Amino acid sequence: MLKINNLHAKLEDEDKQILKGVSLEVPAGEVHAIMGPNGSGKSTTSYVLSGRDGYEVTDGSATLYGEDLLEMEPEERAAAGLFLAFQYPVEIPGVGNMTFLRTALNAQRKRRGEEELSAAEFLKLIREKGKALNIDADMLKRPVNVGFSGGEKKRNEILQMAVLEPKMCILDETDSGLDVDAMRLVADGVNALRAPDRAFLVITHYQRLLDHIRPDVVHIMSDGKIVKTGGPELALEVEQNGYADLLSEVA
Amino acid sequence: MNDITDLEVREGVDRETVETVANMGSYKYGWDTEIEMEYAPKGLSEDIVRLISEKNGEPEWMTDWRLKAYRRWVTMQEPSWAMLNYPEIDFQDQYYYARPKSMEAKPKSLDEVDPKLLATYEKLGIPLKEQMILAGVEGADAAPADGRKVAVDAVFDSVSVGTTFKDELAKAGVIFCSISEAIREHPELVQKYLGSVVPPTDNFYATLNSAVFSDGSFVYIPPGVTCPMELSTYFRINAENTGQFERTLIIADKGSYVSYLEGCTAPKRDTAQLHAAVVEIVVLEDAEVKYSTVQNWFPGDEDGNGGIYNFVTKRADCREARAKVMWTQVETGSAITWKYPSCVLRGDDSQGEFYSIAITNNHQQADTGTKMIHLGKNTRSRIVSKGISAGKAQNTYRGLVSMHPKATNSRNYTQCDSLLIGDKCGAHTVPYIEVKNASSRVEHEATTSKVDDDQLFYCRQRGMDEEEAVAVIVNGFAKEVLQALPMEFAMEAQSLVAISLEGSVG
Amino acid sequence: MADTAITMRQVTPDIAEGGDADPALSARLDVLDLPAGGFTAAARKDALARLRAVGLPKPRDEYWRYTNPAAFNAPVPDPIPLAEQGPDSPLFLERKRLTLVFVDGAFDAAASDDLALEGVEVGLLSTADADETHWSGEIYGRLEAAAQERVARPMAALNTAAARDGVLVRVTGQPSKPIHIIHRRKDESADVYYHHVIRLEPGAELTLLETGMTGARSNFVAEVDLAEGARFHHITAKRAGHEKLGWGGVFARVAAEAVFKSFTLSVNGTMMRHEAIIDIVGDDAVAHVAAAVLGDANRGPFHHDDTVFITHSAERCESRQVFKKVLKNGAKGIFQGKILVEPGAQKTDGYQISQALLLDEDSQFLGKPELEIYADDVQCSHGSTTGAIDETALFYLRSRGVPRDRAIVLMVLSFLADALEEVEDESLREEISDRLDAWLTRHA
Repeated sequence: MLKINNLHAKLEDEDKQILKGVSLEVPAGEVHAIMGPNGSGKSTTSYVLSGRDGYEVTDGSATLYGEDLLEMEPEERAAAGLFLAFQYPVEIPGVGNMTFLRTALNAQRKRRGEEELSAAEFLKLIREKGKALNIDADMLKRPVNVGFSGGEKKRNEILQMAVLEPKMCILDETDSGLDVDAMRLVADGVNALRAPDRAFLVITHYQRLLDHIRPDVVHIMSDGKIVKTGGPELALEVEQNGYADLLSEVA
Repeated sequence: MNDITDLEVREGVDRETVETVANMGSYKYGWDTEIEMEYAPKGLSEDIVRLISEKNGEPEWMTDWRLKAYRRWVTMQEPSWAMLNYPEIDFQDQYYYARPKSMEAKPKSLDEVDPKLLATYEKLGIPLKEQMILAGVEGADAAPADGRKVAVDAVFDSVSVGTTFKDELAKAGVIFCSISEAIREHPELVQKYLGSVVPPTDNFYATLNSAVFSDGSFVYIPPGVTCPMELSTYFRINAENTGQFERTLIIADKGSYVSYLEGCTAPKRDTAQLHAAVVEIVVLEDAEVKYSTVQNWFPGDEDGNGGIYNFVTKRADCREARAKVMWTQVETGSAITWKYPSCVLRGDDSQGEFYSIAITNNHQQADTGTKMIHLGKNTRSRIVSKGISAGKAQNTYRGLVSMHPKATNSRNYTQCDSLLIGDKCGAHTVPYIEVKNASSRVEHEATTSKVDDDQLFYCRQRGMDEEEAVAVIVNGFAKEVLQALPMEFAMEAQSLVAISLEGSVG
Repeated sequence: MADTAITMRQVTPDIAEGGDADPALSARLDVLDLPAGGFTAAARKDALARLRAVGLPKPRDEYWRYTNPAAFNAPVPDPIPLAEQGPDSPLFLERKRLTLVFVDGAFDAAASDDLALEGVEVGLLSTADADETHWSGEIYGRLEAAAQERVARPMAALNTAAARDGVLVRVTGQPSKPIHIIHRRKDESADVYYHHVIRLEPGAELTLLETGMTGARSNFVAEVDLAEGARFHHITAKRAGHEKLGWGGVFARVAAEAVFKSFTLSVNGTMMRHEAIIDIVGDDAVAHVAAAVLGDANRGPFHHDDTVFITHSAERCESRQVFKKVLKNGAKGIFQGKILVEPGAQKTDGYQISQALLLDEDSQFLGKPELEIYADDVQCSHGSTTGAIDETALFYLRSRGVPRDRAIVLMVLSFLADALEEVEDESLREEISDRLDAWLTRHA
């Protein structure tokens, strides 16, 4: 599904190379995790894949089902099925959650040549999804992420994921700022969305999220590259010995 | 199902964004109506003023009133303090009176009105048949099942084409008619109140209007009456090189209530057209008036050719205790906007509110805001202004909050936010704050910023293109004002926000 | 440029119309013995021409909306008796400093220190003017003239033409102590004009303290030119001279990474107007202008006008305007502040706050806080509040045992705190704060 090959990227404004040849492949139905110390390029990978301004790809490729992601605008990538759950979901005062999500969904559907949903159809859909994720209607009426607690923001990301039904979900440090209970709720949401035609790339610093979202494959990232790839046991190794040991062993 | 409808209504204000964005197109009302017109000769003189008065069948006192204003006007200078830059206006190169030939013999009812005129309003989405209608909303699938009645006075160039629901309003004692009819039929009310809020000497444009106003709406709500439906006036400029100078007078007698809507459009023409209106509102004890405008005059093309020059004086006088007025305006059109709907809070405990969205794109320029003049004790005012500037436009908020020495224990809160889209436009804030007593409190806050990059990226990551994303964010930015509009107007305004910003990004 | 044209038309109709032959101006100039000047001769001539072009300020000028310029336009001021010394000893006397004394605007060598301070070249306009090649020739009247392009400032042009003395300070290093200018009065009817030129070379630093009162009427201009990375701190404390009538203008040009900060304490004065016109021309520069004003009109009128115009024409610069006025017994406080962000001045951070505390029913605050912005990637905001003292807070303090008068003093001090924060040096800040406390306690 997602193929990243030798991806190099730098900051647009500075001569600072951040990604120095990232390669990985996530097949449909699998959950992969990227772990790594701070500053290793994990979040940059998610931004480059989703097309955030400020980064310049200097080499390599990234494709989703064979389509070149890097050539697309952010919204085209979204319509192609790429979803980024933000580390810090953005607050948009004055814009209702419902409006936001309906606009996004219909924009994606339109781009894919699908029928747009009417207000009533959308309402039905979001109620269904909200119920499944245990999100109360009150949250839907509030402006996007404004005044949400850290946990609410992350759950809102998961709700958006459920409604937009992307193929490839990237979770950027979804566990940051969450207590154990909130993290479990978010993880339950993600697990409920696991499907044979959907893949996940979970970016995290700590192993703890991976206790709840069990990955099929774990990649260790350091200094802009994937330095080691293995099974879930790799995450436990990081937990027990820290990154330093692992990295010195790789070096 | 019940709670779904419930939720839809509450979400109503912004749920139209989707359709809006899908329907985005350029100025929709730019077509013109081919109709035989009757013009007064070009230019302005005492004879033209007399002619306008005569055409309207006015009594002598009205002619004299106009002539007095005209004589004053010739001694006045066009104001230049606004941050507006436009070529000099040749006031002698304008038609001051234009009416469809078919209106020469006044139609007795709407059935007698030229079908071409009725079709014009139909096309604008303003059906003049008396039926359950939604003002200004085309294809709004969210119409509440029990559709509300809105009475319409339609003004075409210089004359009122017709007013709907007059009989039903008359049963409630409400007078809703064209101002020319009111001058003939209700001279005692007109003489008592006309010019009592905006005197004929007020300012250059108001004085011009006092001399040449041709038509407009007149509203009188008797004591204790809540107007049974919303009233609206729809202004259409059609003729070329013709100024529109309408005059609106609204009187809310003691304890009454009315909500009034004003809409306006004009054809696309590559020469600028002048519009100088005066709106006067008199609010007596315990009465309340809501005045909402969605101003959608032709803004000129992308290169700044044509468009309406809009110089408007609007003022409400809360003349007695506990009177209340609320101005809401959505300004998206006009090449030049010069407009400061104001509140004179004379009665003790009276209240004034001003909610405004002003959007300028391409070469548009707007200098708009409000004045809150606190004269009575315990008076309250609130100003919420949202300016959005894109393209090469200039957008200025100009306002005055004045607390007179006797206006003790009064309050004002002002919030002015400006949003810039692109680096070729300007956004300016020019507030005047004058506090002359210590027991009153005045708070003013203003911010200027651009559309937040993170918000933009977040929306795009969720699938919206840049223009949609900007429209969504701008609607959010302007939400507080959109919410102050009657619901149908809010939806229209919401679509206008998106349309007005077309071509502003990327 | 079209944008400038709009501004020009709005504020300087007289220039546009080429107004001339102002009889009030002729009367004003007739009584002045204008110096010919040496290195300043050309600048003085230009200034006079500018002044003749725009005429004296008129009450209908937008720029003089809230202050009637009549007292500044009168050919001669009314005499003010010399008796007054006020209960306070002058500020800053206890600290290390280089002291320069001016009496009615003229340098008093006998009362001053030697003009020697490491890293600083101190000259005087009165003696240096004969030197045709003096460094300050490039600045004298030039920053003032540049500022006239946006808004006509006839009082400043008058000063450039009429001033005979003032300091000419060039800083190349980081002097160990501040320069302290003390103003004194001798002639009860003196009409005083003085003009400082201050130039900080790259990386140089200077703190300038200015205290005391001068003349029956005063008109001063300071032109401040900050090179890259320079840091200038100007602290002015006006003595409690109640009859004071004065106009002053600071014209600053701030280059890249330079820092300009000024704080003015004004306590009383019949009719005062302070203008600060600051052009931020280099990237990453900072300009802060702050004032604390206390006006008690129990012995006659009090009118205090702060007029500020900050122009951003470079990227990533920060400006702050913090103005606090405490008004009593019919005192009148004015604030006209503007942030102008030129096209291309991206990442500007502009902030402006003006607040008035009205301690009784008769006092007034009149304000016009303006933003004029032509660049999109900016964060600019302003706030303005006017009102009485918060009765709930007052009650809270009193319920904890603080007497009412003391509680009011504490609340006023807390109201002024944001402005005082702009004084970087802690000991200076404390000295000023103590002085404020004493004044407030006396006037409680």
